[in-house]
Amino acid sequence: MSGDDLRMTGAAQRGPALAIVVDGVPVTAYGGESIAAALMAAGQPVMRWTAHAGQPRGYFCGMGVCQDCLVTVDDHPNVRACMTPVREGLRVATQQGLGDLGVSR
Amino acid sequence: MSGVPGSDECVVVGGGPAGLAAARTAARHGVHVTLVDENAELGGQYYRQMPAGFSAAPGSALGRETIEGRRLIEEVRGADVELRLETVAWGIFDERTVAVATREASSLISARTLVLAPGAIDRPVPFPGWTTPGVLTAGGAQNLMKAYGVLPGRRVIIAGSGPLLFVVAHYLLQGGAKVVAICEASPMRQLWRYAPRMLPHLDFVQQGYRYRQEIKDAGVPFLTGHVIRRALGATQVTGAVISRCDDDWSPIEGTEESFDVDAIVVGYGFVSSVELARLAGCQHAWDADLGGWTAVRNRDLESTVPGVFIAGDGAGVAGSAVALEEGHLAGLAVAGRAGRLTGRAYSREISRARGRLLHLAGFRRVMDQLFRFGPGIYTLADGETTLCRCEEVPVMDALQATREGAVEVNEVKAWTRIGMGRCQGRMCGPALAHLIARATGHSVADAGVFTPRPPVKPVALEALAREGA
Repeated sequence: MSGDDLRMTGAAQRGPALAIVVDGVPVTAYGGESIAAALMAAGQPVMRWTAHAGQPRGYFCGMGVCQDCLVTVDDHPNVRACMTPVREGLRVATQQGLGDLGVSR
Repeated sequence: MSGVPGSDECVVVGGGPAGLAAARTAARHGVHVTLVDENAELGGQYYRQMPAGFSAAPGSALGRETIEGRRLIEEVRGADVELRLETVAWGIFDERTVAVATREASSLISARTLVLAPGAIDRPVPFPGWTTPGVLTAGGAQNLMKAYGVLPGRRVIIAGSGPLLFVVAHYLLQGGAKVVAICEASPMRQLWRYAPRMLPHLDFVQQGYRYRQEIKDAGVPFLTGHVIRRALGATQVTGAVISRCDDDWSPIEGTEESFDVDAIVVGYGFVSSVELARLAGCQHAWDADLGGWTAVRNRDLESTVPGVFIAGDGAGVAGSAVALEEGHLAGLAVAGRAGRLTGRAYSREISRARGRLLHLAGFRRVMDQLFRFGPGIYTLADGETTLCRCEEVPVMDALQATREGAVEVNEVKAWTRIGMGRCQGRMCGPALAHLIARATGHSVADAGVFTPRPPVKPVALEALAREGA
């Protein structure tokens, strides 16, 4: 564990460093990481806000089952952060409610 | 989605220990196998591999299971196995036709034999604050650390039951996190009583001892007969409240203690993923020791639907050693059914596998007794606690439904939306059944189980509309 993030130092050799953009702010990630891993490593466990009560939610089951780590990725809502790898320039938005599909309802 | 389904000799669903072993053994005997898994890498949860470009540093704690798993994965990759990764099996129709989808497209695969190896998920246990970011399952914590070398927090409390708590603590400590306490719900009294039956399984015992020693050396309090009570923090975890519990894991009021933490890892055992087997029409029975609803199988691990075999934790939670052996046995049975393994060779191989399973079953029974699940854990939640995480429905709505006459989970679902969300009731189903049982005085089995509906995992309409996965 280094000072500024939650990545274990010495335990793992990582892929190449890259930058994703989270709510408009650049965040360092490593090729091969899931979006959830990058967010957790950056100390940002809140991944969405629920539709009814507006409660924060994040990484819970970590295996694609609980559907709680849903984020909006490059304008596509409801993407499971734990099952989706990062890539350079990926735009991640903390999801509000059910997300915006970009079509009128 | 249209067209003639592709036909195959054997489809294996799930790329964890059971599915890998089934695919390897069946392929070794000349059966053409298609292996479907939702993840980008084979291995499932236990053998979870690091992504391409990552490697565990030499001598690192992250390596052991990964290396063991990699050997099996390489055998499967070197065999006549068609891999369909990042592909979700979202339904089963006409008993042995599997509907699969990638992110882009979907298709049907008909198989003469089907091996379901879906594994298990951490048993979800609602408690006040359990939806707060920073609360995560033991499986989720392990994946984060094993696959990515990322810690869930800097000051972490672990609560649950079973040997996995030690494994999580081990990874956390190796990664430099502070483990403030491990709360094991079971009383773990009179361990000497189990000694004679543990003797044939010294390797497991020694591994457990090494973990225990590491925890002791790190000065981590190991609190038996303790449970999580509450996660503190408005937008993310800032603390945890624990308390003592009695032998059925019911919390004891007035014994609460608080800790400052930034993550809470919760692991009260596992429940089998039975959705696909139930869609296939396989009969299930209630078995509390095996994690709840469990597929009925014969000695060849064939379900009540001919040609559908179920192996590993998906058919009763028993751990990776049993899963490997069951996968192997299912692979043999598939080869036998395909006429690729016959006569004496077949009988010899099958009886060897059954013998090894019998040996492992002895250990499993000890673990089941030692860490016997305590249904009192479902009294942690109060009326305000969110029961259905997807639809944001609190426990009190379920209780209200039982007062109005609901006696079964699907009734409560229809009345309250509990279990109707994207996770299809996987996160709330077991707790709801226990709450109903407590309210009605009936058995948990009588409270039933949510009826699974395809797609069992969310699939984009765009992918459903386009054929060719």
